Amino acid sequence: MLERLRAPWSDRRAELTLGAVSLLVGVAVVAMIAFVAVQAWPTLRHNGLSFFGSGGDLKEQFETMQNAGPHPPASAYHFRAWPLIWGTLIVTAPAVLLGIVVAVLSSIFIVELAPVRLRRVVIPVVRLLASVPSVIYGLVGILVVVPFVLEHVISDSDKVALQDTVLLNGTGVGVTIVILTIMITPIMIALICEALLAVPNSWREGAIALGCNPVRAMLAVTVRAARPAIVAAAVLATARALGEAIMVSMVGGATNFAPRISDGLTFFLEPFRSVAAAIVDYHEGIGAPALKSALYTLALLLLFSAFVLSVGGYLIKLPMRKYQVRG
Amino acid sequence: MTRIRRVTAALLVAGVLGVAAPAAASALTTITISGATASYPLVTLLAAKYNKVHPHKVKFRITQGGAQIGINDVAAGRVSIGDVSRDPLSTDPAGLVFYPVARYGICVITNKANPVTSLTTAQAIAIFTGKTRSWAGIPGASQTGTIDLVSRTSVAGVLTNFQTILLEGKKVSSLAAEEPSEGLMRQQVENDPAAIGFVSNYQSDKNTVHAVGLNGTACNRATVTNGSYTGTARFYEVTKGKATGAASAFIGWIEKSAAAKKIISTQWVPIS
Repeated sequence: MLERLRAPWSDRRAELTLGAVSLLVGVAVVAMIAFVAVQAWPTLRHNGLSFFGSGGDLKEQFETMQNAGPHPPASAYHFRAWPLIWGTLIVTAPAVLLGIVVAVLSSIFIVELAPVRLRRVVIPVVRLLASVPSVIYGLVGILVVVPFVLEHVISDSDKVALQDTVLLNGTGVGVTIVILTIMITPIMIALICEALLAVPNSWREGAIALGCNPVRAMLAVTVRAARPAIVAAAVLATARALGEAIMVSMVGGATNFAPRISDGLTFFLEPFRSVAAAIVDYHEGIGAPALKSALYTLALLLLFSAFVLSVGGYLIKLPMRKYQVRG
Repeated sequence: MTRIRRVTAALLVAGVLGVAAPAAASALTTITISGATASYPLVTLLAAKYNKVHPHKVKFRITQGGAQIGINDVAAGRVSIGDVSRDPLSTDPAGLVFYPVARYGICVITNKANPVTSLTTAQAIAIFTGKTRSWAGIPGASQTGTIDLVSRTSVAGVLTNFQTILLEGKKVSSLAAEEPSEGLMRQQVENDPAAIGFVSNYQSDKNTVHAVGLNGTACNRATVTNGSYTGTARFYEVTKGKATGAASAFIGWIEKSAAAKKIISTQWVPIS
Protein backbone atom coordinates (compact mmCIF):
# COMPACT_ATOMS: atom_id res chain seq x y z
CA MET A 1 0.00 0.00 0.00
CA LEU A 2 2.64 2.50 1.08
CA GLU A 3 5.01 1.41 -1.67
CA ARG A 4 2.30 2.05 -4.21
CA LEU A 5 1.72 5.58 -2.89
CA ARG A 6 5.46 6.28 -3.00
CA ALA A 7 5.82 5.09 -6.58
CA PRO A 8 5.77 7.82 -9.27
CA TRP A 9 2.25 8.62 -10.36
CA SER A 10 1.13 7.53 -13.76
CA ASP A 11 0.05 10.39 -16.03
CA ARG A 12 -3.49 9.13 -16.01
CA ARG A 13 -3.71 9.12 -12.23
CA ALA A 14 -2.22 12.60 -11.90
CA GLU A 15 -4.62 13.86 -14.55
CA LEU A 16 -7.62 12.40 -12.75
CA THR A 17 -6.58 13.82 -9.38
CA LEU A 18 -5.86 17.31 -10.68
CA GLY A 19 -9.06 17.23 -12.72
CA ALA A 20 -11.05 16.31 -9.63
CA VAL A 21 -9.50 19.14 -7.61
CA SER A 22 -10.23 21.79 -10.24
CA LEU A 23 -13.73 20.44 -10.69
CA LEU A 24 -14.18 20.80 -6.93
CA VAL A 25 -13.34 24.52 -7.18
CA GLY A 26 -15.96 24.91 -9.89
CA VAL A 27 -18.55 23.04 -7.85
CA ALA A 28 -17.77 25.19 -4.78
CA VAL A 29 -18.27 28.42 -6.78
CA VAL A 30 -21.55 27.24 -8.25
CA ALA A 31 -22.77 26.01 -4.86
CA MET A 32 -21.88 29.35 -3.27
CA ILE A 33 -23.73 31.38 -5.88
CA ALA A 34 -26.73 29.06 -5.60
CA PHE A 35 -26.74 29.34 -1.80
CA VAL A 36 -26.56 33.15 -1.82
CA ALA A 37 -29.26 33.33 -4.50
CA VAL A 38 -31.60 31.06 -2.52
CA GLN A 39 -31.10 33.15 0.65
CA ALA A 40 -31.66 36.37 -1.32
CA TRP A 41 -34.83 35.17 -3.02
CA PRO A 42 -37.47 36.42 -0.48
CA THR A 43 -36.17 40.01 -0.69
CA LEU A 44 -35.87 39.87 -4.48
CA ARG A 45 -39.37 38.47 -4.82
CA HIS A 46 -40.95 41.15 -2.63
CA ASN A 47 -39.08 44.09 -4.12
CA GLY A 48 -38.39 43.03 -7.69
CA LEU A 49 -36.21 45.43 -9.62
CA SER A 50 -37.22 48.35 -7.41
CA PHE A 51 -34.76 46.83 -4.92
CA PHE A 52 -32.18 48.87 -6.82
CA GLY A 53 -34.28 52.03 -6.62
CA SER A 54 -34.45 54.71 -3.97
CA GLY A 55 -37.26 55.75 -1.66
CA GLY A 56 -38.01 56.07 2.02
CA ASP A 57 -35.64 56.09 4.94
CA LEU A 58 -33.20 53.20 4.69
CA LYS A 59 -32.58 53.28 8.45
CA GLU A 60 -36.28 52.68 9.12
CA GLN A 61 -36.31 49.86 6.58
CA PHE A 62 -33.39 48.18 8.36
CA GLU A 63 -35.18 48.60 11.70
CA THR A 64 -38.44 47.17 10.37
CA MET A 65 -36.61 44.14 8.99
CA GLN A 66 -34.75 43.71 12.27
CA ASN A 67 -37.88 43.90 14.43
CA ALA A 68 -40.16 41.82 12.22
CA GLY A 69 -39.49 38.67 14.24
CA PRO A 70 -39.12 35.08 13.07
CA HIS A 71 -42.08 35.15 10.65
CA PRO A 72 -41.92 38.53 8.91
CA PRO A 73 -44.97 39.74 6.97
CA ALA A 74 -44.43 40.55 3.29
CA SER A 75 -44.33 44.28 4.05
CA ALA A 76 -41.25 43.84 6.27
CA TYR A 77 -39.15 42.87 3.25
CA HIS A 78 -39.52 46.37 1.77
CA PHE A 79 -36.00 47.53 0.92
CA ARG A 80 -34.60 50.19 -1.43
CA ALA A 81 -30.84 49.79 -1.75
CA TRP A 82 -30.02 52.77 -3.98
CA PRO A 83 -28.21 54.86 -1.31
CA LEU A 84 -25.86 51.91 -0.71
CA ILE A 85 -25.30 51.26 -4.42
CA TRP A 86 -24.75 54.95 -5.07
CA GLY A 87 -22.33 55.12 -2.13
CA THR A 88 -20.34 52.24 -3.61
CA LEU A 89 -20.18 53.81 -7.07
CA ILE A 90 -19.10 57.29 -5.98
CA VAL A 91 -16.06 56.01 -4.13
CA THR A 92 -15.07 53.12 -6.41
CA ALA A 93 -15.08 54.98 -9.73
CA PRO A 94 -12.91 57.96 -8.69
CA ALA A 95 -10.54 55.74 -6.72
CA VAL A 96 -10.00 53.38 -9.66
CA LEU A 97 -9.59 56.21 -12.19
CA LEU A 98 -7.17 58.06 -9.95
CA GLY A 99 -5.35 54.83 -9.12
CA ILE A 100 -4.94 53.70 -12.72
CA VAL A 101 -3.36 57.01 -13.77
CA VAL A 102 -0.96 57.02 -10.83
CA ALA A 103 -0.18 53.32 -11.30
CA VAL A 104 0.58 53.58 -15.04
CA LEU A 105 2.77 56.65 -14.62
CA SER A 106 4.71 55.28 -11.67
CA SER A 107 5.14 51.87 -13.33
CA ILE A 108 6.61 53.60 -16.39
CA PHE A 109 8.97 55.47 -14.11
CA ILE A 110 9.98 52.37 -12.15
CA VAL A 111 10.60 50.19 -15.20
CA GLU A 112 11.80 52.61 -17.86
CA LEU A 113 13.43 55.55 -16.12
CA ALA A 114 14.51 54.63 -12.60
CA PRO A 115 18.05 53.39 -12.02
CA VAL A 116 18.22 49.63 -11.55
CA ARG A 117 19.24 49.95 -7.90
CA LEU A 118 16.18 52.05 -7.11
CA ARG A 119 13.97 49.63 -9.00
CA ARG A 120 15.28 46.72 -6.93
CA VAL A 121 14.15 48.51 -3.78
CA VAL A 122 10.87 49.98 -4.99
CA ILE A 123 9.29 46.86 -6.46
CA PRO A 124 9.46 44.79 -3.22
CA VAL A 125 8.19 47.78 -1.24
CA VAL A 126 5.21 48.14 -3.58
CA ARG A 127 4.47 44.42 -3.25
CA LEU A 128 4.60 44.77 0.52
CA LEU A 129 2.18 47.71 0.40
CA ALA A 130 -0.17 45.68 -1.77
CA SER A 131 -0.50 43.07 0.94
CA VAL A 132 -1.32 45.39 3.87
CA PRO A 133 -4.71 44.30 5.31
CA SER A 134 -7.45 46.85 4.75
CA VAL A 135 -8.32 47.13 8.44
CA ILE A 136 -4.93 48.83 8.93
CA TYR A 137 -5.88 51.45 6.36
CA GLY A 138 -9.21 51.88 8.13
CA LEU A 139 -7.46 52.39 11.45
CA VAL A 140 -5.08 54.99 10.04
CA GLY A 141 -8.10 56.65 8.45
CA ILE A 142 -10.15 56.91 11.63
CA LEU A 143 -7.22 57.86 13.88
CA VAL A 144 -5.36 60.29 11.59
CA VAL A 145 -7.21 61.37 8.46
CA VAL A 146 -10.71 61.82 9.87
CA PRO A 147 -9.64 64.11 12.78
CA PHE A 148 -7.49 66.10 10.33
CA VAL A 149 -10.38 66.65 7.92
CA LEU A 150 -12.67 67.57 10.80
CA GLU A 151 -10.27 70.18 12.10
CA HIS A 152 -8.84 71.69 8.94
CA VAL A 153 -11.27 71.08 6.07
CA ILE A 154 -14.81 71.28 7.42
CA SER A 155 -15.93 74.80 8.35
CA ASP A 156 -18.73 75.65 10.75
CA SER A 157 -20.74 77.25 7.97
CA ASP A 158 -20.58 74.00 5.95
CA LYS A 159 -21.98 72.13 8.92
CA VAL A 160 -24.72 74.62 9.69
CA ALA A 161 -25.84 74.78 6.06
CA LEU A 162 -26.53 71.04 6.02
CA GLN A 163 -27.38 70.45 9.66
CA ASP A 164 -30.94 69.28 9.05
CA THR A 165 -30.00 66.94 6.20
CA VAL A 166 -26.73 65.30 7.05
CA LEU A 167 -23.93 65.50 9.61
CA LEU A 168 -20.42 66.40 8.54
CA ASN A 169 -18.11 64.79 11.09
CA GLY A 170 -14.90 64.22 9.17
CA THR A 171 -15.83 60.84 7.73
CA GLY A 172 -17.19 60.62 4.23
CA VAL A 173 -16.75 60.35 0.49
CA GLY A 174 -13.46 62.27 0.10
CA VAL A 175 -11.57 60.50 2.88
CA THR A 176 -12.76 57.13 1.59
CA ILE A 177 -11.69 57.90 -2.00
CA VAL A 178 -8.22 58.91 -0.83
CA ILE A 179 -7.68 55.83 1.34
CA LEU A 180 -9.23 53.51 -1.23
CA THR A 181 -6.87 54.90 -3.88
CA ILE A 182 -3.87 54.36 -1.63
CA MET A 183 -5.12 50.83 -0.98
CA ILE A 184 -5.58 49.69 -4.57
CA THR A 185 -2.73 51.52 -6.34
CA PRO A 186 0.13 49.24 -5.13
CA ILE A 187 -1.60 46.15 -6.56
CA MET A 188 -1.94 47.86 -9.93
CA ILE A 189 1.67 49.07 -9.88
CA ALA A 190 2.93 45.58 -9.09
CA LEU A 191 0.95 44.02 -11.95
CA ILE A 192 1.77 46.71 -14.54
CA CYS A 193 5.47 46.71 -13.63
CA GLU A 194 5.63 42.98 -14.21
CA ALA A 195 4.06 43.37 -17.64
CA LEU A 196 6.35 46.25 -18.63
CA LEU A 197 9.39 44.22 -17.55
CA ALA A 198 8.20 41.34 -19.72
CA VAL A 199 8.26 43.42 -22.92
CA PRO A 200 11.33 42.19 -24.86
CA ASN A 201 14.10 44.76 -25.01
CA SER A 202 14.51 44.15 -28.74
CA TRP A 203 11.08 45.75 -29.30
CA ARG A 204 12.22 48.98 -27.69
CA GLU A 205 15.52 48.88 -29.56
CA GLY A 206 13.66 48.22 -32.81
CA ALA A 207 11.44 51.24 -32.29
CA ILE A 208 14.40 53.46 -31.54
CA ALA A 209 16.28 52.10 -34.56
CA LEU A 210 13.29 53.05 -36.69
CA GLY A 211 13.67 56.64 -35.51
CA CYS A 212 11.33 56.94 -32.50
CA ASN A 213 12.65 59.04 -29.64
CA PRO A 214 12.75 57.13 -26.31
CA VAL A 215 9.49 58.60 -25.01
CA ARG A 216 7.67 57.73 -28.21
CA ALA A 217 9.12 54.22 -28.16
CA MET A 218 7.96 53.81 -24.58
CA LEU A 219 4.39 54.92 -25.23
CA ALA A 220 3.94 53.39 -28.66
CA VAL A 221 5.61 50.06 -28.03
CA THR A 222 6.19 49.17 -24.37
CA VAL A 223 3.02 50.57 -22.81
CA ARG A 224 0.95 49.49 -25.79
CA ALA A 225 2.17 45.93 -25.44
CA ALA A 226 1.31 45.97 -21.74
CA ARG A 227 -2.27 47.18 -22.26
CA PRO A 228 -3.93 43.85 -21.39
CA ALA A 229 -2.08 43.84 -18.08
CA ILE A 230 -3.26 47.39 -17.40
CA VAL A 231 -6.85 46.27 -17.98
CA ALA A 232 -6.34 43.21 -15.79
CA ALA A 233 -4.88 45.40 -13.04
CA ALA A 234 -7.84 47.79 -13.27
CA VAL A 235 -10.30 44.90 -13.05
CA LEU A 236 -8.57 43.46 -10.00
CA ALA A 237 -8.39 46.85 -8.30
CA THR A 238 -12.05 47.58 -9.04
CA ALA A 239 -13.02 44.24 -7.56
CA ARG A 240 -11.09 44.97 -4.39
CA ALA A 241 -12.55 48.48 -4.14
CA LEU A 242 -16.13 47.28 -4.71
CA GLY A 243 -15.87 44.59 -2.08
CA GLU A 244 -13.97 46.67 0.47
CA ALA A 245 -16.07 46.50 3.60
CA ILE A 246 -14.23 47.08 6.83
CA MET A 247 -12.27 50.18 5.81
CA VAL A 248 -15.35 51.84 4.28
CA SER A 249 -17.38 50.92 7.34
CA MET A 250 -14.79 52.71 9.50
CA VAL A 251 -14.17 55.93 7.56
CA GLY A 252 -17.24 56.17 5.30
CA GLY A 253 -19.43 57.71 7.98
CA ALA A 254 -21.87 54.83 8.52
CA THR A 255 -25.08 56.60 7.53
CA ASN A 256 -27.64 55.55 4.96
CA PHE A 257 -27.44 58.98 3.32
CA ALA A 258 -26.94 59.24 -0.45
CA PRO A 259 -24.41 62.09 -0.96
CA ARG A 260 -25.65 64.74 -3.40
CA ILE A 261 -23.42 66.00 -6.22
CA SER A 262 -25.55 69.16 -6.26
CA ASP A 263 -23.93 70.19 -2.95
CA GLY A 264 -20.74 71.09 -4.83
CA LEU A 265 -17.46 70.46 -3.04
CA THR A 266 -19.28 69.60 0.19
CA PHE A 267 -20.21 66.38 -1.61
CA PHE A 268 -16.76 65.05 -0.73
CA LEU A 269 -17.39 65.65 2.99
CA GLU A 270 -20.74 63.89 3.12
CA PRO A 271 -20.96 60.51 4.89
CA PHE A 272 -22.37 57.43 3.16
CA ARG A 273 -22.41 53.65 3.40
CA SER A 274 -21.40 51.16 0.72
CA VAL A 275 -23.00 47.82 -0.12
CA ALA A 276 -20.17 45.81 1.44
CA ALA A 277 -20.03 48.07 4.52
CA ALA A 278 -23.77 47.55 5.06
CA ILE A 279 -23.20 43.80 5.25
CA VAL A 280 -20.51 44.33 7.90
CA ASP A 281 -22.52 46.87 9.88
CA TYR A 282 -25.74 44.85 10.01
CA HIS A 283 -24.45 41.26 10.11
CA GLU A 284 -25.32 41.09 13.79
CA GLY A 285 -29.02 41.16 12.94
CA ILE A 286 -28.83 38.18 10.62
CA GLY A 287 -31.11 36.23 12.96
CA ALA A 288 -34.05 38.25 11.65
CA PRO A 289 -35.10 36.48 8.42
CA ALA A 290 -36.05 39.68 6.55
CA LEU A 291 -32.74 41.37 7.33
CA LYS A 292 -30.83 38.20 6.52
CA SER A 293 -32.42 37.97 3.10
CA ALA A 294 -31.71 41.66 2.40
CA LEU A 295 -28.03 41.23 3.30
CA TYR A 296 -27.76 38.17 1.06
CA THR A 297 -29.31 40.18 -1.76
CA LEU A 298 -26.56 42.76 -1.30
CA ALA A 299 -24.03 39.91 -1.37
CA LEU A 300 -25.58 38.61 -4.58
CA LEU A 301 -25.24 42.08 -6.06
CA LEU A 302 -21.52 42.10 -5.19
CA LEU A 303 -21.08 38.62 -6.70
CA PHE A 304 -22.87 39.72 -9.84
CA SER A 305 -20.76 42.85 -10.20
CA ALA A 306 -17.58 40.77 -9.82
CA PHE A 307 -18.86 38.54 -12.61
CA VAL A 308 -19.65 41.53 -14.86
CA LEU A 309 -16.21 42.95 -14.13
CA SER A 310 -14.31 39.86 -15.17
CA VAL A 311 -16.39 39.36 -18.32
CA GLY A 312 -16.00 43.06 -19.12
CA GLY A 313 -12.23 42.87 -18.62
CA TYR A 314 -12.07 39.86 -20.93
CA LEU A 315 -14.06 41.65 -23.67
CA ILE A 316 -11.90 44.79 -23.45
CA LYS A 317 -8.75 42.70 -23.72
CA LEU A 318 -9.90 40.76 -26.81
CA PRO A 319 -8.87 43.33 -29.45
CA MET A 320 -5.56 43.94 -27.65
CA ARG A 321 -4.51 40.30 -28.00
CA LYS A 322 -2.47 40.92 -31.15
CA TYR A 323 0.57 42.50 -29.52
CA GLN A 324 0.24 41.33 -25.95
CA VAL A 325 3.13 39.97 -23.98
CA ARG A 326 1.01 38.58 -21.18
CA GLY A 327 -2.20 39.06 -19.23
CA MET B 1 -3.69 -11.13 1.65
CA THR B 2 -1.01 -9.54 3.84
CA ARG B 3 -1.83 -6.15 2.36
CA ILE B 4 -5.49 -6.48 3.21
CA ARG B 5 -4.59 -7.46 6.76
CA ARG B 6 -2.24 -4.49 7.10
CA VAL B 7 -4.89 -2.10 5.80
CA THR B 8 -7.43 -3.51 8.23
CA ALA B 9 -4.98 -3.07 11.09
CA ALA B 10 -4.28 0.52 10.08
CA LEU B 11 -8.00 1.28 9.89
CA LEU B 12 -8.55 -0.24 13.31
CA VAL B 13 -5.76 1.83 14.88
CA ALA B 14 -7.11 4.99 13.26
CA GLY B 15 -10.59 4.14 14.47
CA VAL B 16 -9.49 3.58 18.06
CA LEU B 17 -7.52 6.85 18.07
CA GLY B 18 -10.47 8.68 16.55
CA VAL B 19 -12.79 7.51 19.28
CA ALA B 20 -10.34 7.77 22.17
CA ALA B 21 -9.05 11.30 21.53
CA PRO B 22 -12.41 13.12 21.82
CA ALA B 23 -13.36 10.89 24.75
CA ALA B 24 -10.27 12.00 26.68
CA ALA B 25 -11.01 15.65 25.88
CA SER B 26 -14.64 15.47 26.98
CA ALA B 27 -13.72 14.46 30.52
CA LEU B 28 -14.09 18.23 31.11
CA THR B 29 -17.53 19.61 30.35
CA THR B 30 -17.33 22.54 27.95
CA ILE B 31 -19.56 25.57 28.47
CA THR B 32 -19.90 27.48 25.20
CA ILE B 33 -20.91 31.13 25.39
CA SER B 34 -21.50 33.70 22.67
CA GLY B 35 -23.14 37.11 22.46
CA ALA B 36 -22.90 40.75 23.47
CA THR B 37 -19.61 42.59 22.97
CA ALA B 38 -20.51 44.86 25.90
CA SER B 39 -20.59 42.08 28.50
CA TYR B 40 -17.74 40.03 26.98
CA PRO B 41 -15.04 41.51 29.29
CA LEU B 42 -17.15 40.71 32.36
CA VAL B 43 -17.95 37.15 31.28
CA THR B 44 -14.31 36.29 30.51
CA LEU B 45 -13.25 37.58 33.96
CA LEU B 46 -15.99 35.54 35.63
CA ALA B 47 -15.10 32.39 33.68
CA ALA B 48 -11.41 32.69 34.58
CA LYS B 49 -12.28 33.07 38.28
CA TYR B 50 -14.74 30.16 38.12
CA ASN B 51 -11.99 27.95 36.70
CA LYS B 52 -9.70 28.97 39.53
CA VAL B 53 -12.27 28.30 42.25
CA HIS B 54 -13.47 25.01 40.73
CA PRO B 55 -10.38 23.62 39.00
CA HIS B 56 -10.68 20.78 36.45
CA LYS B 57 -14.43 20.99 36.36
CA VAL B 58 -15.41 22.87 33.23
CA LYS B 59 -13.82 24.43 30.17
CA PHE B 60 -15.10 27.68 28.68
CA ARG B 61 -15.27 28.66 25.05
CA ILE B 62 -16.42 32.29 24.87
CA THR B 63 -16.96 34.33 21.70
CA GLN B 64 -18.46 37.75 21.13
CA GLY B 65 -20.44 39.14 18.24
CA GLY B 66 -23.41 41.02 19.59
CA ALA B 67 -26.48 40.53 21.76
CA GLN B 68 -28.56 39.34 18.82
CA ILE B 69 -25.97 36.71 17.93
CA GLY B 70 -26.14 35.44 21.52
CA ILE B 71 -29.93 35.14 21.26
CA ASN B 72 -29.76 33.37 17.90
CA ASP B 73 -27.01 30.96 18.95
CA VAL B 74 -28.61 29.90 22.20
CA ALA B 75 -32.06 29.55 20.60
CA ALA B 76 -30.58 27.31 17.90
CA GLY B 77 -28.70 25.25 20.50
CA ARG B 78 -25.27 26.21 19.13
CA VAL B 79 -24.08 27.43 22.55
CA SER B 80 -24.99 26.60 26.14
CA ILE B 81 -25.28 30.25 27.24
CA GLY B 82 -26.01 33.46 25.31
CA ASP B 83 -24.79 36.85 26.57
CA VAL B 84 -27.37 39.58 26.13
CA SER B 85 -26.98 43.27 26.95
CA ARG B 86 -30.64 44.31 26.68
CA ASP B 87 -33.97 43.39 28.24
CA PRO B 88 -36.03 40.57 26.68
CA LEU B 89 -38.01 41.67 23.61
CA SER B 90 -41.33 40.36 22.32
CA THR B 91 -39.56 39.42 19.07
CA ASP B 92 -37.13 37.08 20.82
CA PRO B 93 -37.64 33.36 20.12
CA ALA B 94 -39.91 31.63 22.65
CA GLY B 95 -38.55 29.39 25.40
CA LEU B 96 -35.48 31.43 26.38
CA VAL B 97 -34.79 32.05 30.06
CA PHE B 98 -33.05 35.32 30.98
CA TYR B 99 -30.86 35.37 34.12
CA PRO B 100 -29.79 38.92 35.08
CA VAL B 101 -26.14 38.91 36.17
CA ALA B 102 -25.06 42.54 36.45
CA ARG B 103 -26.23 46.12 36.03
CA TYR B 104 -24.46 48.78 34.02
CA GLY B 105 -25.02 52.46 33.37
CA ILE B 106 -25.55 53.80 29.88
CA CYS B 107 -23.70 57.11 29.86
CA VAL B 108 -24.21 59.87 27.33
CA ILE B 109 -20.72 60.92 26.25
CA THR B 110 -19.25 64.05 24.71
CA ASN B 111 -15.76 65.15 23.67
CA LYS B 112 -13.35 66.12 26.47
CA ALA B 113 -13.30 69.64 25.00
CA ASN B 114 -17.05 69.96 25.51
CA PRO B 115 -17.71 68.84 29.11
CA VAL B 116 -21.48 69.26 29.41
CA THR B 117 -22.28 68.60 33.07
CA SER B 118 -25.80 67.33 32.77
CA LEU B 119 -28.78 67.08 30.43
CA THR B 120 -32.42 66.73 31.34
CA THR B 121 -34.32 63.84 29.78
CA ALA B 122 -36.20 66.36 27.62
CA GLN B 123 -32.93 67.86 26.38
CA ALA B 124 -31.45 64.42 25.67
CA ILE B 125 -34.57 63.47 23.69
CA ALA B 126 -34.48 66.75 21.73
CA ILE B 127 -30.80 66.29 20.89
CA PHE B 128 -30.89 62.63 19.92
CA THR B 129 -34.11 62.83 17.92
CA GLY B 130 -32.64 65.72 15.91
CA LYS B 131 -34.95 68.51 17.15
CA THR B 132 -32.14 70.49 18.76
CA ARG B 133 -29.40 70.84 16.19
CA SER B 134 -27.07 73.34 17.85
CA TRP B 135 -24.95 73.31 21.00
CA ALA B 136 -25.71 77.03 21.44
CA GLY B 137 -28.87 76.44 23.48
CA ILE B 138 -27.44 73.71 25.71
CA PRO B 139 -26.36 74.95 29.18
CA GLY B 140 -22.79 73.99 30.04
CA ALA B 141 -21.68 73.33 26.45
CA SER B 142 -18.46 75.01 25.39
CA GLN B 143 -19.27 74.29 21.74
CA THR B 144 -21.61 76.57 19.81
CA GLY B 145 -21.88 74.85 16.42
CA THR B 146 -23.88 71.95 15.08
CA ILE B 147 -24.38 68.87 17.24
CA ASP B 148 -22.82 65.76 15.64
CA LEU B 149 -24.94 62.77 16.60
CA VAL B 150 -23.22 59.41 16.92
CA SER B 151 -25.33 56.29 17.33
CA ARG B 152 -25.04 52.53 16.83
CA THR B 153 -26.43 50.31 14.09
CA SER B 154 -30.03 49.33 14.78
CA VAL B 155 -28.99 45.78 15.65
CA ALA B 156 -26.96 46.83 18.72
CA GLY B 157 -28.45 45.83 22.08
CA VAL B 158 -27.15 48.98 23.77
CA LEU B 159 -29.02 51.19 21.26
CA THR B 160 -32.26 49.38 22.07
CA ASN B 161 -31.63 50.00 25.78
CA PHE B 162 -30.61 53.60 25.24
CA GLN B 163 -33.83 54.34 23.36
CA THR B 164 -36.15 52.64 25.85
CA ILE B 165 -34.46 53.76 29.05
CA LEU B 166 -32.99 57.21 28.36
CA LEU B 167 -35.12 58.44 25.45
CA GLU B 168 -38.47 57.14 26.73
CA GLY B 169 -38.88 54.98 23.64
CA LYS B 170 -38.12 57.72 21.08
CA LYS B 171 -35.92 56.78 18.12
CA VAL B 172 -32.47 58.30 17.51
CA SER B 173 -32.59 60.54 14.42
CA SER B 174 -31.49 59.05 11.09
CA LEU B 175 -29.03 61.94 10.82
CA ALA B 176 -26.77 60.13 13.29
CA ALA B 177 -23.71 58.20 12.19
CA GLU B 178 -24.39 54.52 12.95
CA GLU B 179 -21.19 53.03 14.29
CA PRO B 180 -20.96 49.24 14.12
CA SER B 181 -19.16 48.90 17.47
CA GLU B 182 -18.75 50.66 20.78
CA GLY B 183 -15.05 51.23 20.10
CA LEU B 184 -15.74 53.13 16.89
CA MET B 185 -18.46 55.14 18.64
CA ARG B 186 -15.98 56.22 21.32
CA GLN B 187 -13.32 56.99 18.71
CA GLN B 188 -15.69 59.21 16.75
CA VAL B 189 -16.67 61.14 19.89
CA GLU B 190 -12.99 61.46 20.82
CA ASN B 191 -12.20 62.82 17.32
CA ASP B 192 -14.98 65.36 17.12
CA PRO B 193 -15.44 68.22 19.67
CA ALA B 194 -19.07 68.64 18.57
CA ALA B 195 -20.03 64.99 18.91
CA ILE B 196 -22.43 63.32 21.33
CA GLY B 197 -22.95 59.58 21.74
CA PHE B 198 -23.53 56.90 24.37
CA VAL B 199 -21.61 53.91 25.74
CA SER B 200 -22.34 50.99 28.05
CA ASN B 201 -18.93 50.84 29.71
CA TYR B 202 -17.83 54.34 30.63
CA GLN B 203 -15.45 53.01 33.29
CA SER B 204 -12.96 51.92 30.64
CA ASP B 205 -13.46 55.05 28.52
CA LYS B 206 -13.17 57.80 31.05
CA ASN B 207 -9.72 58.91 29.96
CA THR B 208 -10.79 59.56 26.39
CA VAL B 209 -14.33 60.97 26.55
CA HIS B 210 -16.52 62.95 28.98
CA ALA B 211 -19.61 61.42 30.62
CA VAL B 212 -22.68 63.65 30.77
CA GLY B 213 -25.01 63.43 33.76
CA LEU B 214 -28.74 62.84 33.45
CA ASN B 215 -31.26 65.12 35.22
CA GLY B 216 -28.53 66.43 37.50
CA THR B 217 -27.05 63.06 38.47
CA ALA B 218 -23.56 62.24 37.22
CA CYS B 219 -23.04 58.95 35.39
CA ASN B 220 -20.46 56.88 37.25
CA ARG B 221 -20.25 53.63 39.14
CA ALA B 222 -21.25 55.16 42.49
CA THR B 223 -24.49 56.64 41.16
CA VAL B 224 -25.31 53.48 39.22
CA THR B 225 -24.71 51.39 42.36
CA ASN B 226 -26.87 53.46 44.69
CA GLY B 227 -29.60 53.68 42.08
CA SER B 228 -29.68 57.48 41.79
CA TYR B 229 -28.64 57.34 38.12
CA THR B 230 -31.70 56.19 36.20
CA GLY B 231 -30.07 55.22 32.90
CA THR B 232 -29.14 51.71 33.97
CA ALA B 233 -29.68 48.41 32.18
CA ARG B 234 -28.86 44.78 32.84
CA PHE B 235 -26.62 42.10 31.39
CA TYR B 236 -28.27 38.70 31.08
CA GLU B 237 -27.06 35.15 30.71
CA VAL B 238 -29.65 33.40 28.53
CA THR B 239 -30.34 29.69 28.24
CA LYS B 240 -32.78 27.67 26.17
CA GLY B 241 -35.27 26.51 28.74
CA LYS B 242 -34.15 26.49 32.39
CA ALA B 243 -30.39 26.24 32.81
CA THR B 244 -29.19 22.70 33.53
CA GLY B 245 -25.94 20.96 34.46
CA ALA B 246 -22.70 22.89 34.17
CA ALA B 247 -24.37 26.02 32.79
CA SER B 248 -26.77 26.11 35.73
CA ALA B 249 -23.88 25.69 38.20
CA PHE B 250 -21.96 28.56 36.56
CA ILE B 251 -24.95 30.93 36.51
CA GLY B 252 -25.79 30.01 40.10
CA TRP B 253 -22.19 30.78 41.10
CA ILE B 254 -22.39 34.21 39.39
CA GLU B 255 -25.65 34.97 41.19
CA LYS B 256 -24.60 33.86 44.68
CA SER B 257 -20.86 33.76 45.31
CA ALA B 258 -18.93 36.62 46.89
CA ALA B 259 -16.03 36.13 44.48
CA ALA B 260 -18.26 36.79 41.47
CA LYS B 261 -19.78 39.82 43.18
CA LYS B 262 -16.31 41.21 43.74
CA ILE B 263 -15.42 40.89 40.06
CA ILE B 264 -18.69 42.47 38.95
CA SER B 265 -18.09 45.37 41.33
CA THR B 266 -14.80 46.30 39.63
CA GLN B 267 -16.48 47.95 36.63
CA TRP B 268 -20.15 47.04 36.83
CA VAL B 269 -22.76 46.69 39.54
CA PRO B 270 -24.07 43.41 41.03
CA ILE B 271 -27.81 42.76 40.86
CA SER B 272 -29.41 44.16 44.09
